[in-house]
Amino acid sequence: MTSAFGTVLTSLIRHRGVTGCMVVGEQDGIIVDSSLQIGVNGTAFAALTASLYRRARRSAAAAGFGETGFFELDAEHGRVCAAGRNDLVLVVVAGERVNVGLVRVEMLKALEVLS
Amino acid sequence: MKFSVAENWVEAPLKQFVDEARVQLAVLLHPSGQVLGQFGFARSVDVMTACALSAAIHASAGELGRLVEGKPFTGLHYAGKARQLFLAQVPIAAGSLVLLAVFDDESSLGVVQLFFREFCAAMRAAAPASAASPPALAGDFERELNRNLAVMFGRA
Repeated sequence: MTSAFGTVLTSLIRHRGVTGCMVVGEQDGIIVDSSLQIGVNGTAFAALTASLYRRARRSAAAAGFGETGFFELDAEHGRVCAAGRNDLVLVVVAGERVNVGLVRVEMLKALEVLS
Repeated sequence: MKFSVAENWVEAPLKQFVDEARVQLAVLLHPSGQVLGQFGFARSVDVMTACALSAAIHASAGELGRLVEGKPFTGLHYAGKARQLFLAQVPIAAGSLVLLAVFDDESSLGVVQLFFREFCAAMRAAAPASAASPPALAGDFERELNRNLAVMFGRA
């Protein structure tokens, strides 16, 4: 990986249970940089998660809750987490075994890189 | 919103694409400019204009691609201030068609591209063998175009 996000992505993908992490454009849902395990459909995750994150942000703003800090989708067999800044969204795709707390802290720290 | 098709087999894939990708306007056409289906247009003259312009842009992009890369460009995206345009080739067994989609910030390029891939797969499965071979003959073109528009806008 040669982009500015390489270090962040390498650090996130090493967490147990994480199967993919991406930096995605919030407005277009296109991958800027990614680290994905084989079998993870990155483009689909990127497009749909960016769309969800954008809507979550708008919902929070409409409800008067202010900025969205961290977004987590908890499904039967895994999780999708997203956190964004400056029109970029950091997306992490993980299985059931992931330590969400640790990943969350790491993602929030990584947001500095997106600034 | 108005949804209409000139060929029944394009209805299900096009409707699904419009619903899932949340586009505001969509037109499916032959590369010659013959319309096969549309969503979001209220007047046939607008569909006719969109088809003519899309066919011209698609042909120009194809030739430009041949010059630059030795093969035609198959997709185009233009981001306006409030609306965006996505124009791409839909390969089917008998050739190819062209899809024009217009969307705003209710959707995104990534989402449109994602569901466009599914649309292409659905079109390949649904297309009859002779689907892309038709018109483009100058003598028949206008009559065929008017027939399709009449079918879609209820004047057949």
